[in-house]
Amino acid sequence: MAEALLEVRGLTVRYGAAVALADVSLQVARGEMVALVGPNGAGKTTLLNAISGVIRPAAGRIQLSGRVTQVPEGRQLFADMSVEDNLRIGAWSVRQRDPAAVYELLPRLRELRGRIAGTLSGGEQQMVAVGRALMSTPDLLAIDELSLGLAPLVVDSLAQYLRSLNRERATAILLVEQNVRLALELCPRAYVLEAGQIVLSGSAEELASSAAVQAAYLGGAPEPVPVASGGEDAEA
Amino acid sequence: MTTVLRSRFLRPSSVLIAGVALASLLLPPLLDSGKQTVFVLFTLYVVVTVGLSLLMGLAGQISLGQAAFYALGAYTAGLLAKHGLPQLLALAAAPVGSAVVATLIGVPVLRLRGHYLAFATLAFQLIVLTILAEARGITGGDIGLGGIPPLLPVLNQGQDSELDLNSPLVYCYVGWLVAALVIVLTRNLVRSRPGRGLRALATSEIGAAASGVAVGADKLKVFTISAAYAGLAGGVYAFFLEYLSPGSFPILLSIQFIVMATLGGLGEVWGAVLGAAVIVLLVQVLQAAASQPGLPRQAPAILSYAAYGGVMVLVMLFLPAGLLPTLRQRLSRGRG
Amino acid sequence: MSALLQYLISGIATGCAFALVATGFVTIHRVTGVVNFAQGGFAILAGYVTFSALRAGLPHGVSELLAVLLATAAGGVVGVISIGRRGTPLLASLIITIGLGFLFYAVEVAIWGDQPLQFEGVPGVFSLAGLTLQRQYLLIVAGAVVSFAALLLFFNRTYLGKIFTACASNAYAARLAGINVTRVGIAAFAVGGLLGGLAGVLLLPLRSLTFDSDVDLAVNGFAAAIFGGLQRPGAALVGGLVIGVAEALVAGYSHASYQKGVSLVLIVGILVWQASRRAQAD
Repeated sequence: MAEALLEVRGLTVRYGAAVALADVSLQVARGEMVALVGPNGAGKTTLLNAISGVIRPAAGRIQLSGRVTQVPEGRQLFADMSVEDNLRIGAWSVRQRDPAAVYELLPRLRELRGRIAGTLSGGEQQMVAVGRALMSTPDLLAIDELSLGLAPLVVDSLAQYLRSLNRERATAILLVEQNVRLALELCPRAYVLEAGQIVLSGSAEELASSAAVQAAYLGGAPEPVPVASGGEDAEA
Repeated sequence: MTTVLRSRFLRPSSVLIAGVALASLLLPPLLDSGKQTVFVLFTLYVVVTVGLSLLMGLAGQISLGQAAFYALGAYTAGLLAKHGLPQLLALAAAPVGSAVVATLIGVPVLRLRGHYLAFATLAFQLIVLTILAEARGITGGDIGLGGIPPLLPVLNQGQDSELDLNSPLVYCYVGWLVAALVIVLTRNLVRSRPGRGLRALATSEIGAAASGVAVGADKLKVFTISAAYAGLAGGVYAFFLEYLSPGSFPILLSIQFIVMATLGGLGEVWGAVLGAAVIVLLVQVLQAAASQPGLPRQAPAILSYAAYGGVMVLVMLFLPAGLLPTLRQRLSRGRG
Repeated sequence: MSALLQYLISGIATGCAFALVATGFVTIHRVTGVVNFAQGGFAILAGYVTFSALRAGLPHGVSELLAVLLATAAGGVVGVISIGRRGTPLLASLIITIGLGFLFYAVEVAIWGDQPLQFEGVPGVFSLAGLTLQRQYLLIVAGAVVSFAALLLFFNRTYLGKIFTACASNAYAARLAGINVTRVGIAAFAVGGLLGGLAGVLLLPLRSLTFDSDVDLAVNGFAAAIFGGLQRPGAALVGGLVIGVAEALVAGYSHASYQKGVSLVLIVGILVWQASRRAQAD
């Protein structure tokens, strides 16, 4: 395995008496794209928040050899500020606060720079959220629910941006995603989190063809396709 | 989760309660009349503080004008009794008067999210004090309202000897009774179904709203109840002193109620009792300390401001649950 | 007519001072959610410090500057104590600010006593439309205008100012961007102290200085602040002016003791109005 960028070992997080994460271990290599899937309330957001350092784990280790920035669920923009101000605030922890590099990757943001973030469409807002996170030049981009509430076409183009980001800048991506089909399509490797525990992990292909994942996330058992060709592809 | 919530309202053992009740019943005859007055005021503070503690602990709201409801109750009872209403009816009107006014304030203000009630009640108290001072024709203004008839009858025993039931000692027991009534009432309320909804409210406003608790309406109920308690205490106060003036209801008194409630433990019935007791004793000690010869004239003011301020800050920082829950935790840890 | 003008001018001047106090409330509340009950205390503290500095022979300007700096520091201290501890709930923070307000009282009475004091502002008078007015009025208005301009520039044009706005807009996102929101909140308290201190050194020469007159300033400032729902500094400025002028008119044309009632009635009135708007919005 390539050099580990993020190494989570034995992570346990509690909210009061409730255990949100129990003994979770996970790895992301430099430049890798990894998906984290699982049902609502499994603890995916908690895991991202622990990795981002927003919440403190009760036990376990999170080792990061680089910078991680989270794109939170629901975008969480500074709604009453301009797009450019949103981007610049994303650069709080670094010296370089000029958004030129992000505009280069996401040219649409240059056109929107003067607009108030709260007035943008959902897809545009998600783009701002990704752009804002990129301002801190992260080695790992932790994205919480990329596609939530967005039209399929918009999601496709966002996915394209992530691919080129990953290819051109070697930014690793940890993608939490409800849309398992999309997640497994975009990321070569994935973890399945259920009730605070990692229950499955492996390559996207393995997971896509596993009966458990099929049943729980991909709409039932492997479909009795009339023309049974070698359709291993997870394409819908 | 339920155990956590329940333990917050867990009652001290009935033995302890019986002990406290008995001790407080036996205490007044042992005090001189000055200390009996302090005891009466203590019971009234308990009544006000139980209400305020409920408001702060269950509704998560703070009232800086609780002394105004106390004043309203006092003037309601005093004025009605002075103008001929039977004393007990006048006393019964006191909490009603305060509750009605609280509803009028609460309906708009509690609809707003955030801590608007704090300043609204502060403003309200300042308005009440101004009105009480300015409406000389009715309230006697700054000079005060005298001639309030005593609560209990003066019994004629034969020709010369009278038995006046209105001694400080008797008021000790009147206050005790009112406090006991309010404590029992509140404990039942807290344990009732609406009470449980209110507790949810204190934990999370959004959560409570999501689970179908009508947040605004319940906050209003608690606010009204707390005002009614203050009014009731004020009514007793009016008959006890037979004289009222705006100077008896300063902002500082409202602050004192907050200090008592936070010290004892917010949302805690017995915490309010404990908080009131500790602060009443503390004030006695401070007064004694400040009247030592050689100290500057401002010493009592400095000491009491420092004590109130210090208690509020220190309790919130280091004992946020308040005295009673902390003691209880220590005890149960010691046992277990 | 000349009486009306006189009332208007003195009302605008006091209104400017109320607006400064109000903006302190707003700055702190936007970032931290805390209604800072020690807000009036910053002004009184600054007044007392100016009094002592002048008495010690320091010139005007230096005395006031010293006082405002101390008020700023006091603001920072109130911030550290009330929100610095991780996980302090809002209600606790609010109670702590009340408690700190009373500790201010204790310190002030211990140092300066409980009798009213008086300190000089800018000496001299000026004439306007046949009226003779104290120069201090001009200074208050000028000081407030400069402060508001500086504040506007800070919040809208500087990176640090935008960090304040970002924390107010979305504290969670600010934290994800690596901003220490608590530290920004403490800084907001310091700015609140600065604004309260400014109001104190500007306005208090016109009034007598007593430790508990902070209640009056805080109530007026709060009334001005809720014009914008404790969120908008601009609305707080308008609110301050409205209250200042209304109070001056009430004091001038009716009973002086009704003056206090203006802000109180306004508080209740505005809250009722805002609540009814909210009810419609729901």
